[in-house]
Amino acid sequence: MRTKQTIAIIGASGTMGSAIAKSLCKGNYKLLLCSKEPGKIETLIHDIKSTNSLADVEISDCFKEACWEADIIIAAVPYASEQELAERIKEVANQKIVISIANPLNETYTGLITAADTSAAEELQKLLPHSKVIKAFNTTFAADFSTAVIDRKKIDAFIAGNDEDALETVSELVSTAGFNPVIAGVLSASRTLENTQLMLIQSTRKYNYNWLAAG
Amino acid sequence: MYEVYFENFNQKVPLTDSEQAQIKSFLSVKKLRKKQYLLQEGDVCKSIAFVEKGILRAYAINETGTEHIIQFALEGWTVSDLYSFLTGEQATYNIDALENAELVLISKTAHEELLQQVPKYETYIRLQMTNAYIALQKRLASTVSLSLEERYKIFTATYPDLIQRVPQHMIASYMGLTPETLSRIRRRITENK
Repeated sequence: MRTKQTIAIIGASGTMGSAIAKSLCKGNYKLLLCSKEPGKIETLIHDIKSTNSLADVEISDCFKEACWEADIIIAAVPYASEQELAERIKEVANQKIVISIANPLNETYTGLITAADTSAAEELQKLLPHSKVIKAFNTTFAADFSTAVIDRKKIDAFIAGNDEDALETVSELVSTAGFNPVIAGVLSASRTLENTQLMLIQSTRKYNYNWLAAG
Repeated sequence: MYEVYFENFNQKVPLTDSEQAQIKSFLSVKKLRKKQYLLQEGDVCKSIAFVEKGILRAYAINETGTEHIIQFALEGWTVSDLYSFLTGEQATYNIDALENAELVLISKTAHEELLQQVPKYETYIRLQMTNAYIALQKRLASTVSLSLEERYKIFTATYPDLIQRVPQHMIASYMGLTPETLSRIRRRITENK
């Protein structure tokens, strides 16, 4: 696509949010970074610009404004914050792609807090009924973004969603971030993806893996 | 966010609150900054944009690299590469913002669904298309039958806002003239007053 797309990254100062911002700044995107910690965002923008002076990236101090301007919204926030976020952006997120990256882990990382017949992505879809919620980046650890190629193979990054066009757009985005996009299925496939990440986190902790296990 | 859109809609086809809510669920809002593109040629035009605030223009670039402005869109107007939108073929137009803008976007899928689900939407679109066709016919007729001075006078009388807000060289491009020719025409009109 030639036309530059605008992406709002909510929670851009977090580990995942900043890794996503860094990986997307080389693409044909304008990035609007939102966070409750503006100091951290300024450092992040400085880091991005020092490695890529052409990056079109800026700080946005209002979630709603950023989402209003955006074509794509990345909710890089914990599952517990999704409801509050959804309420704030609902009106401006209508018909837009909203990427859910959250894994609804419990405090001890021993299980998921969502019921077995749903997922964080499906819950977000209920809160934003007219948005196109897509699950992505939940099985990739933050460290994978700087090492997206292991043993000369790109790491697979799974995507799930109900809208064909939106899946295509997000596949392009995941590819720009350096991963190999794999469409896992409709949005309910997020249940498997979120449980997969639970398993990966548990094994990484148990066997002291290097936090690149998703590959 | 949708005020101008629904004001325009209700003037043509009055809606009940529930019809309005139903239509709204299919729409999306977007802000575009001055000089930012909504569409570049080569991409598929996936949405029709309704202008809530600001000005957009659609233009094509010919083989020698000259820009030709096809259309301006002010508050209350729509803009798209209609051919690309309807056929799914690559766009031949570029669409960008001449001022910071607020838009209501209707995607192809939303448009198709609305046509099926909301009869009043179909009526609204029919009226819009009819008006656009009449405007096109008038523009074509004036191009072949009127003098440049008459065309410019009609244009300024019809769209006084546009003359205030858009640079002259763009008006010239829209009329298919060089900026020098347009400037001569304007001088002649002033002298003859």
